Amino acid sequence: MIELKVIPLETDILIIGGGLAGCMAAIKAAENKGLRVILVDKSNTLASGCAASGIDHIWSYIPPIHEKMGYTIEDMAEDHRQGIAYGLFRKDLFYLVAGTMYERVLDLEGFGLQFRYEDSKIPGKFRIVQQFHSVPTSFNFDGKPLKIKLTQEAKRRGVNIINRVQMTDLITTNGQISGAVGVGTRTGDIYFFQAKAVVLSSGRSNRLSRNPSGFDFNTRLPAPLSGDGTSMAIRAGLPIINIEFLSSRLLAPCGNYCPNYGDPRNTVQPAGRIVDGEGNIIVPRTQFYGWENLGKEKFDPVKTRQRWIEDRKMWRGGRATLPERVTQGEGPFYLDFNEGTDYEINYIRWSIRNEGKGTQFMRYFEGEEGLDLRKNSQEYAGWANRELSGTAAKGLWVDKDMETGIKNLFAAGDEVGGLPWAASPGAFTMGWHAGEMAAQRAKGQKEFLPVSDETMKLRKEICSEILNRKRGFYWKEVEIYLQNLIDFYCGDVRGEGLLRRGLKRLEYARNAPLKAENPHELSRSLEVKSIIDNAELVLRSSIERRESRPAFDYRRSDYPEQDDKNWLVFLAVRKEEDGGYSFTKIPIE
Amino acid sequence: MGFRHIYFKEDACTGCNICVDVCMCDALAPNPEKGKPPIEMYPDECWFCGCCMTFCPQLEKGAIRIVTPFPMRGAFRRKD
Repeated sequence: MIELKVIPLETDILIIGGGLAGCMAAIKAAENKGLRVILVDKSNTLASGCAASGIDHIWSYIPPIHEKMGYTIEDMAEDHRQGIAYGLFRKDLFYLVAGTMYERVLDLEGFGLQFRYEDSKIPGKFRIVQQFHSVPTSFNFDGKPLKIKLTQEAKRRGVNIINRVQMTDLITTNGQISGAVGVGTRTGDIYFFQAKAVVLSSGRSNRLSRNPSGFDFNTRLPAPLSGDGTSMAIRAGLPIINIEFLSSRLLAPCGNYCPNYGDPRNTVQPAGRIVDGEGNIIVPRTQFYGWENLGKEKFDPVKTRQRWIEDRKMWRGGRATLPERVTQGEGPFYLDFNEGTDYEINYIRWSIRNEGKGTQFMRYFEGEEGLDLRKNSQEYAGWANRELSGTAAKGLWVDKDMETGIKNLFAAGDEVGGLPWAASPGAFTMGWHAGEMAAQRAKGQKEFLPVSDETMKLRKEICSEILNRKRGFYWKEVEIYLQNLIDFYCGDVRGEGLLRRGLKRLEYARNAPLKAENPHELSRSLEVKSIIDNAELVLRSSIERRESRPAFDYRRSDYPEQDDKNWLVFLAVRKEEDGGYSFTKIPIE
Repeated sequence: MGFRHIYFKEDACTGCNICVDVCMCDALAPNPEKGKPPIEMYPDECWFCGCCMTFCPQLEKGAIRIVTPFPMRGAFRRKD
């Protein structure tokens, strides 16, 4: 019989998840001398979360640029609402993110990141490209070492970083957060935290669907992110929004690496265009903004927005998307940089290398395949994995100060729902704000609340059982069962009959006895439990949303029409004390 | 030996294990023999972020190499 060690720890502020949001929350909270801050990460903050291997762009309202242009933050909010969020949009969160990201960029510069370049023609020497709005709003920068710099800054400020611990449970006392439980991924030790305030920033769930590349962990965003935060939150009775929006399979331009490759649907880096097999242009090439005219021309935000939205219809919200066209037998389609100038091509190569898997795969493409962006095109070939609410921002419902329905429990980054494509700017700004608010609360509270050890003991028992079990299922068997289940019963077009049957079959996954031979397998088993919780919410919320909403890849065979009158709302699901689920429609402000 | 895609060059790798430390998926394990290259424990659990390579202090000497699995290779159209 394996007896697991219990490690009790006390801290003023506990931050769960050390990605961008968690690191920013820790850094901000640790400004307050005398407050103890513990940051827990399932991996290692040096290389964890969606920015593990870097990011190359951050969207923001940029006052020194946009004021010159005559583009207001209200214009930007309207761009975001219409062109990116398709109406499903939390304005308060948008203003927090867009309105404070520029200050955070200045902070990041202070932490040692480079945002300014001698060859830039843009005021401030920034590099700024178009992405999610009708004018350029995204900084390009050397974001490769982001997580290293944030880790250094957090340590410099005295944050206690505990790596390789997977958090599993939140503990409340009289409706207020009082502690949390985690499990060492390399040790199996049970971590029992007591805290005055907690920030939840564990990210989303990236393994809900089978990976079409055949490599299960080859997800676009990190595979280790299993939705542990959503699982903890739903078990704690908190509402989750938008979780029915599980996307269709995506097309990736290069095998299944799924990079942000400067194609015209994402960061609009220069020169990318999409062509079909005959060389016909499907989406025309993009170009750098004419910065030399900044402030000299009269700017018309409405006309600019209309033109931009019309351009985007090549991807969404009107014409069939490329993945849809391929499923209808059209194609092949290629990403093509052939008309780019040397400067543009080098800019793209620089940018790609700063983000995600870019460094690694550019080394492979250029080094091993001899890829030349000037001459070769890359086919939108492999199917990439389905993603949970990439466009629709699934997550916790929080107030404008990032507080959840549990007092002193805050959330940040991808853990929070309601702002489509909040992405890294969401993580930086919400993390910072959540860290600030958590610190205020912790300062205002002298004593720790009494914490029951019941949850900890239960978690210890579950882990011991998994480790001691002789006959049972290996985590991966249950995970594959579940992914097959989601792809079949909750596919690109969903109907109530299949969804209900899927829920029934999900019970088998829930009841499947898991076994693990070591702490690593134990951790994966606990991840599978999180994935089951996330999958159940996807199924239940899909049954509840009785309409179709193509902009979010949401299609019901039994409700084929988009129904804005009844369904242009956030759908919040929560678990009641009796184990049942309830739904609330939250109107758009 | 089954499928693997991370290769270490024994005379370039110093066995510092930084790749083991930073691997987000905990797919690598230190070699029980000190100074020797790590072991790819769970090749199926790699998400191809490449951090093991970018953090490697001996990268230029070829201490670590990720070989892109065959089904994940790029599909190109070449004009030359």
